[in-house]
Amino acid sequence: MTNAAEFRSFAADLLAWIDEVEAGNNVADQFPTLAWRLFGLQSECVSTLRDLCRGRGIALDVLRDWRDIPVVPTRAFKEFPITSLSPDHRTAEFRSSQTTGRDFSRCFHDPESLAVYERSALTWFRVAQGLRPGDRRRVLVLTPPKAEAPHSSLVHMFELIRHEHGDEGSAFLAAVDPTSAWVVEPKTAWAALREASDGGTPVLLLGTAFSFVHLLDGRPAGQPPVRLPAGSFVLETGGYKGRSRELPKSDLHAALGKALGLAPQCVRTEYGMCELSSQAYDTFPGDPPAGQRRFRFPPWARAVVVSPETGREVADGESGLLRVYDLANVRSVLAIETEDLAVRRGLGFELLGRAARAEARGCSLMPAAT
Amino acid sequence: MQLPRYFLADLPDRAAVTPAVVTEACLSLKSNRRQFLRERNTDSMVAAIAAIAEDWLDPNNPFRQVALAEGPSALGFSRETLSAGLDAFFRTLTVENLRALLTQDLGHNQRLERLSPAEVETYPRQLAFAQGPPLVAHITAGRLPNPVLTSMVHGLLLRSAQFVKCATGTALLPRLFAHSLREVEAKLGACLEIAEWPGACHELTDALIAQADCVTAMGSDETIAAIRRRVPWNTRFLGYGHRVSVGYVAVEAMSAFTLPKVVAACAQDVIAWDQSGCLSPHAIYVETGNRQTPHRFAELLAAELDRLEGICPRGRLSLDEAASIAARRGFYEIRAAHSGDTALWRSEGSTAWTVVYENDPRFHPSCLNRFVYVKAVAGVEQALEGLDSLRGQVSTVGLGASGLTEQRLAQRFAAWGVTRICPLGRMQEPPLTWRHDGRPSLADLVTWTDWEPGGRG
Repeated sequence: MTNAAEFRSFAADLLAWIDEVEAGNNVADQFPTLAWRLFGLQSECVSTLRDLCRGRGIALDVLRDWRDIPVVPTRAFKEFPITSLSPDHRTAEFRSSQTTGRDFSRCFHDPESLAVYERSALTWFRVAQGLRPGDRRRVLVLTPPKAEAPHSSLVHMFELIRHEHGDEGSAFLAAVDPTSAWVVEPKTAWAALREASDGGTPVLLLGTAFSFVHLLDGRPAGQPPVRLPAGSFVLETGGYKGRSRELPKSDLHAALGKALGLAPQCVRTEYGMCELSSQAYDTFPGDPPAGQRRFRFPPWARAVVVSPETGREVADGESGLLRVYDLANVRSVLAIETEDLAVRRGLGFELLGRAARAEARGCSLMPAAT
Repeated sequence: MQLPRYFLADLPDRAAVTPAVVTEACLSLKSNRRQFLRERNTDSMVAAIAAIAEDWLDPNNPFRQVALAEGPSALGFSRETLSAGLDAFFRTLTVENLRALLTQDLGHNQRLERLSPAEVETYPRQLAFAQGPPLVAHITAGRLPNPVLTSMVHGLLLRSAQFVKCATGTALLPRLFAHSLREVEAKLGACLEIAEWPGACHELTDALIAQADCVTAMGSDETIAAIRRRVPWNTRFLGYGHRVSVGYVAVEAMSAFTLPKVVAACAQDVIAWDQSGCLSPHAIYVETGNRQTPHRFAELLAAELDRLEGICPRGRLSLDEAASIAARRGFYEIRAAHSGDTALWRSEGSTAWTVVYENDPRFHPSCLNRFVYVKAVAGVEQALEGLDSLRGQVSTVGLGASGLTEQRLAQRFAAWGVTRICPLGRMQEPPLTWRHDGRPSLADLVTWTDWEPGGRG
């Protein structure tokens, strides 16, 4: 088999497993087997990973545990094309948010790997939100539409959700301003929310943390409260990135719940990034309403919290650096080390935030000391 | 040893510190100064400081013992790092050095007592008398004790009352130093206050500034700017913002004979205070052209840091700090696997030390805690190009060079704007006469009276 055929065959087996998970079938855990298979392919075909393995003197047959698969830090995506696709086969490119000019990650897909990305993203979204294929809702998205943000993996996913689950009134409610910033149109957004509220149409309101701040800050004064009907929920993701005032997530969620008439468990968080093809969610059907929130990836992606000192997985309840092993990352690398700090909670994790000092602090931001 | 509750920072209940308490403390300090300090002479202050410093060098000094026992958990330095750092600091506080500082900054070491001529005769004849501010407020930052202890010594020499406001969690060593003064001379202790509150407690900071005749502040450039805005125009303000330092090794120092010594000196600069000061090197620029390459220098530096970790271990890091190191290591490992222009050496199973070699002169700030870059350059001009974005912000260059090369390099770095040049191995041990950020230390604090005597009439 050629490499392309092997990747195709892997993708077919992964998709079959994803189907089983969505169907609720109780199938054996295929993660370790598929992880080794994919790592074998990637360590041959992704030059960055191949160099890394050679640099470390890693041979496939000496690794015992899938957690020993070498991780690639997200920062490396800013400098190297981390993909097994040759330039002429890269039909789609996702980029991390460009807060600092050219300093962004690039992640490439071909139609096959994009299909895996979409299947992974959509399936776990449905599982987390308790939706079935074919269910329709009013999908209101506080980002620009796909045409205006062609390289955002988040917008791609939201478009997918709108396409699969949106009714005819669904819409994207932000635009890209001349500085490339995403700006919510609060009047339109509140009008759309009011219409759904008045018409008893359940809403899926999707957006980034800063877009929700824009929404809250732009609420028209002197109007009766919006009360979204049962079946509605808010999905918030990502940080503020300096694009809005920053408030603690718990305060943001409380404010959103109050402004939209939603119970706390209807305001939910997604964890994802352009370097990953699977996402984690902090609320699932059947979770106790007031229980501790923890993020969970689908069975085909695993979060591992490691000690930055030793690189070893920490004990339950301890904190460390978050690594994600994502089998849906077919054409890049499956093992990613993020710059996020997290607490290990069973099979899930609680997010502590970015290890901000790593790069965000320029010289002048360093802790004061002389 | 249980320290008595004497200073505000000794109180277990931080809520007890209110603006009224700060004001009251400042008024007491000023009154105590009038009673106890104004009539002291310079010689007696010099003698007292030197005696206290000498005592701190004694392993049996109870304050030193508390510093070494509590310092590791309070400040995050290992006992060995603290011990070495305190020794280096207190060794400089000798009678001779203190007098040298007075002469350098004030022209004559009696000028705080009476109208005196400069030691070098001036024409027309002029006599001068210098007075320190009645109350100096020091707003400090960071866990490194040297800058704040140095400021306290300056205040003592000038016989000023001093209120030291420490950043949260950093008061231990200023407190211990103040208690040691108080034990020897209760009257000196009565003219000092040590307190700790978060920078966001503006009402406390404002109460302090309102009483102070002079405010010194250390911290990030933003912090300094924010404090400066709160200080009235007619209160003297001395801000010390963010600075970085680097090492530079000339090709002559790369011979097989000198290289081990230069590497050992450089490693001392990296481990001192766990590289957390403005005087610690972020990067070492190493000249190419010898058979011993910059890459080899980096390899030897890594081996030396590994050896020193067994003798003088790095302190424990927060999760955030350790994660910064882990993230950078991961990234440089990828780069190193990709190209020979980057190489990485690191401690096994910990983040204790990291050396990144880069064949690229562009400066990139280190995440510190013994994480150092070694950069290959053809010569000093290439290093200065790499440092260009930091022009005006480089505090110290540690030189690995000798003779005429050392002179040439020192002159070049000085002309470019570096404010201190010293041999490698001494970067974190500035002399007492060092001009912090290029400014005189005592002379910036005092107010002068000049007298031009009339003729014999």
